[in-house]
Amino acid sequence: MAPLLEVKNLKKYFPTSRGVVHAVDDVTFSLDAGKTMGVVGESGCGKSTLGRTIIHLQPSTDGKIIFDGRDVTDVKGNDLKKLRGDMQIVFQDPYSSLNPRMSVHDTIAEPLRLSGKYKGPELENECRRLMDLVGIESRLYNAYPHEMDGGRRQRVGIGRALAMHPRFIVCDEPVSALDVSIQAQVLNLLMDLQDNLGLTYMFVTHDLSVVKHISHSICVMYLGQLVETCATDELFSNQLHPYSKALLSAIPSTDIHHPQKRIVIKGEITSPIDPKPGCRFATRCPYATEACSRPQRLDEVLPGHFVSCCRCREINKL
Amino acid sequence: MSEHRSDFLSVRDLVVHYHSEGKTVKAVNGVSFDLGKGETIGLVGETGAGKTTIAKALMRILPVHSVEHTEGSVTLEGKELMSLPEHEMQQLRGRALSMIFQDPMTALNPVKTVAEQIAEAVRLHNNVSRSQALDRAKEMLTMVGISADRAGEYPHQFSGGMKQRVVIAMALACDPQLLIADEPTTALDVTIQAQVLEMINDLKEKLSTSMIMITHDLGVVAETCDTVAVTYAGQIIEYGTKEDIFDHPTHPYTVGLFNALPNMNDNAARLSPIDGLPPDPTNLPQGCAFSPRCPYATDACRKGVIENYTVSGVHTCRCIRAAKEEV
Repeated sequence: MAPLLEVKNLKKYFPTSRGVVHAVDDVTFSLDAGKTMGVVGESGCGKSTLGRTIIHLQPSTDGKIIFDGRDVTDVKGNDLKKLRGDMQIVFQDPYSSLNPRMSVHDTIAEPLRLSGKYKGPELENECRRLMDLVGIESRLYNAYPHEMDGGRRQRVGIGRALAMHPRFIVCDEPVSALDVSIQAQVLNLLMDLQDNLGLTYMFVTHDLSVVKHISHSICVMYLGQLVETCATDELFSNQLHPYSKALLSAIPSTDIHHPQKRIVIKGEITSPIDPKPGCRFATRCPYATEACSRPQRLDEVLPGHFVSCCRCREINKL
Repeated sequence: MSEHRSDFLSVRDLVVHYHSEGKTVKAVNGVSFDLGKGETIGLVGETGAGKTTIAKALMRILPVHSVEHTEGSVTLEGKELMSLPEHEMQQLRGRALSMIFQDPMTALNPVKTVAEQIAEAVRLHNNVSRSQALDRAKEMLTMVGISADRAGEYPHQFSGGMKQRVVIAMALACDPQLLIADEPTTALDVTIQAQVLEMINDLKEKLSTSMIMITHDLGVVAETCDTVAVTYAGQIIEYGTKEDIFDHPTHPYTVGLFNALPNMNDNAARLSPIDGLPPDPTNLPQGCAFSPRCPYATDACRKGVIENYTVSGVHTCRCIRAAKEEV
């Protein structure tokens, strides 16, 4: 089976007065239909930009985006409009991503209305069906965002994203603004929807326990580059890139009897403006050598396990 | 809660009510806890549980215009803080007790250099010259891992993690005995969070500072705290040592909180969220505030005052099931 989404050498650069920001630099991966790929990394690593570029919220600088076997990198006009029905996004902050002057039904009905397929009672029925699907009580049909808590608002955002029956949804930190007990409700909803509708997700988050829970495979990003990608279980049991190792060991564990050994990496993320060639993690990496200043290549180190680190085999004794 | 009061910090029956749009917001409703010298207590709970209000009440920095009513007692080393005149409280604030605020992006003054901001606190509490205070500021910056060369820079020149270090340096500049950390790492990335937590633990050990760690992250609690107070709707609904809470969570809310957390060590397909929402603090339910969401709630839970029952040792739980030993 061909993957639903293939991204090849995707680049997104932003020119600024201080230089060119390499927000996404040469990212390649593929994603099968009905699966969830988690994208993790720290703030500024380009994970949100990656999601937004894939669904054409902004044009890519270079590389290819292949959706359902078709090159959609440069689609425009009506083709783009059609593609938008297939690819949707759920935003991070349900407090600022909903229009405060639009009620629940206005928000969910807007894409339905724009599609021209629904009118009058059909529109209302479809809107109510979507509300039911995402678990919003029908009494909230005329409610406004300020009348609802964060969890319900996020459900409205999901309902709106589902209106056009998309096959692929970018979930950009959809639960990070929510409390733990509410977060679990929304994660369960997303997983149920995937099971029932066969959705494919790209799940962007900085929360590694969430990503472990919901994803089938994971991409770890650092400063615009993909440093490691493999199946979720494989990443959590056998991470090979030094950055992934540090990132995973930094998660505060709730297991008070078996404190894990933590790798605390020194320093901070460097600037993504006009970065030097070579590994961008090298400035903080305990294993960095001369060879790391040369451009790195994403290599299939183990079957299905890709790592971008020239010292990977040596460090992991492979 | 045992009647024995700690010599260091003792909070008894703290109540804070705000007024908002003609309604009374019952933010904190009778909170009591003790903290020994050099110990760390974790205040855990979700948004709106009253954690930050408790901290602000201890610091006596509640917003005067919106507070309707406060009562209760807070004693720090035998001194009652709640009735202290403001000018005496000013003497203590920053020196005896100080606070790390949640958001380092907004806690710093953008038009002053970081060293000036730290030196300001030093000069306020110590009879030192401007240059001595600046030296102390540089020393503090070095201690939190920022090179003294950067002392003359402004907050916008620092990253989020470094700004949080500046805020920590400021809070520690006058060697406070009690440090209140309000979500000190929530705004930070995990690798930076690891650095900051490690630093806080080191400094605590070095200076034997007592700490109140306010967080919603149970992982952070596990790594930094000795005792834990789980807050819900302005009350401590469960209290105990870290082992009590993590090994034997007793209150249905605490149990729910642990179950709702995606667990790194197990692969359950579905999470178990807590149904419903936290109560509206302007309209708290009768009896147990958690009863509308509680799977075990009975009629007895919905009336009267729910007592605090001892589970074992210092472990207490505000749930009538704990009294019947059904848990």
